[in-house]
Amino acid sequence: MDMILSAAFLTSLVAGMVVSGVPLLLAGLGEQISEKAGVLNIGIEGMMLAGAYAGFLGAYQTGSLWVGFLYGIGAGMAVASVMAVLCVRLGLNQIVIGIGLTLGAEGLTALLHHVRFSRSYPRLPGVETLPLPGLAELPIVGSALFDRHPIVYLAVASAVVLSVLYRRTHLGLTLRAAGDKPAALDAAGGDVIRTRVAAVLCTGAFAGLGGAFMAEVGAGLFVPFMTGGAGFIAIVLAMLARGRPLWVLAGAALFGACLSMTTALQVAGFDVPTDVIQMLPFAAVMAVLIVFGRGASLPAALGSAYVRGGRGSDGERS
Amino acid sequence: MVGKAQGAEVKSIAILVPEQATDFGWNQQGVDSAKAAATQTGVAVTVAQGLGYGDVRPTLRELAEDGVGLMIAHASGYNTAAPEIAEELKVPVAIVDRPDSLKPGLVADYTLSGHEGAYLAGRMAAKVSRTGTVGIVVSGEPPSWNAQSSGFAQGVRAEKPGMKIVYAVIGPAAYSDAAGGQRVTASVIAAGADVIFGQGNGSSFGMLQAVETTKAVDGGKVLFIDVIGDKTPVDKGFLLTSVLWDLTPVYAAMIEDLRGGSFGTKHYKIQLADDSLRLLRTKNVPEDVWASVMKIRDDVIAGRIKVDATFDAAAVRALMSDTGGAVPR
Repeated sequence: MDMILSAAFLTSLVAGMVVSGVPLLLAGLGEQISEKAGVLNIGIEGMMLAGAYAGFLGAYQTGSLWVGFLYGIGAGMAVASVMAVLCVRLGLNQIVIGIGLTLGAEGLTALLHHVRFSRSYPRLPGVETLPLPGLAELPIVGSALFDRHPIVYLAVASAVVLSVLYRRTHLGLTLRAAGDKPAALDAAGGDVIRTRVAAVLCTGAFAGLGGAFMAEVGAGLFVPFMTGGAGFIAIVLAMLARGRPLWVLAGAALFGACLSMTTALQVAGFDVPTDVIQMLPFAAVMAVLIVFGRGASLPAALGSAYVRGGRGSDGERS
Repeated sequence: MVGKAQGAEVKSIAILVPEQATDFGWNQQGVDSAKAAATQTGVAVTVAQGLGYGDVRPTLRELAEDGVGLMIAHASGYNTAAPEIAEELKVPVAIVDRPDSLKPGLVADYTLSGHEGAYLAGRMAAKVSRTGTVGIVVSGEPPSWNAQSSGFAQGVRAEKPGMKIVYAVIGPAAYSDAAGGQRVTASVIAAGADVIFGQGNGSSFGMLQAVETTKAVDGGKVLFIDVIGDKTPVDKGFLLTSVLWDLTPVYAAMIEDLRGGSFGTKHYKIQLADDSLRLLRTKNVPEDVWASVMKIRDDVIAGRIKVDATFDAAAVRALMSDTGGAVPR
């Protein structure tokens, strides 16, 4: 028990929370943008995986994590563009296409990894950090929370920015209209299709960045299937958050904290089956869903393709 | 094909693995061993790799229809589908982690245990540890890995009864979770471990990354002990040893058993005596430590030291929290 009370161990747990929470935060924020605009983006797992591979590739080739992040954003948007064409432009089923994109990204990244890295398994060097003056020196949480790679701070800031954008800007209103009342947006002169395409591409950018973070900062390498369902957890977080970005931030932090807690409980030698301990993060998310999510209101046109003059009062086609 | 219980001609075999056979671990050892066994026994081999952990029935059917004489389903996740296809198409299969599922002529199990090799690794870890704490990080708790975790713990305790052993599972079947491997291993190192015994397919590279980028609590270097495969080609100087498996004798025996009519009637094992189970020697192992461990190896082979194989996860965890007790020395 003494070892879990050491400052070094507690710091590593908090750091673990950050490292495992940030990809969920970024992907969850991305998913929320799509959902706001009425597109249920099941393909986010594939976008994360594509971002993870491309991000690692970029960082490995250039030696710059930032270039890797750009690669990751690009790869996520590339996958998202397929969804935009098939689901938004052509109106195909969003769930089927999303699953297809995820499976396709799994296969493609595994193949690319096999061709490029499977005989060398290169790993990136340690991550450079940006300590925040006055905060990084705090005991335990200082280095874990305030001496991180700048992308961590940007991820948290993006939750705040999106929160303001949704509530206080015309762009946010347009986005919400595309998801709630697309026909009204259309009648008001807005372009539903263009809005949804832009939202899906933004989702791809966020998810790709989340995947790149996971590969570059979280693991320092890429292995096939490494996202391991993080994209689906992000979808749950986005739905739980009921359209509020700060709730995505809280959910990602909760999930990351629970993941770190599973390690702490095991290291402390608690005589509880590991399977039970490992359920903790998922149980926590389900508990939050039951307590807070029952009244969740999702956009009225979520999951439905928009066709001007189509069936239904809002022109959506399921 | 059930008639193979009376002995059959085997011209070709197939092996199915969930990931690419370039992982320096489970998948690569399986495929390399299948190829070696095929050469040894004069049969052709088909490799189906990167199949993932989902439903492999279509692949099994396709291979069976191609006429292979034995399908080796080299993943615990395949041990439900493979016997079903064996029954349906009457083609023999070999599976892992279901030792109670033998069917003469049709289903063989090769749940292997490297616990004796892991025991030697535990003795070695205890000898080189500076902090008095070693870690075990696993990405799941399949029986084979449990046996090795217990063997490692027994070895550590036999060498230094007071040593702390920190045990952590990354997640349920987190075989590809490299980020999780990195995160959990970093925490185990922060808890005091300076030697990590890691078991995980793709996730083991995350463990290796953590070892390479995290200092031990005494500021020194952390060393890594791998299992099954040889990661020397991708090591940056942190690999202490590996519990190496060679499945060639196992697969060759299966083919001979098919020919002899005894397939599906017995269990197979890897062992120190024929080097199908052995420790990897690296430059991080001091000369005297290696000599000492090899002497212990001789004692294990001779039966002077008995190492228990514990396949149950709960029993393994109990062993970790046990700080004393009778251990083989």
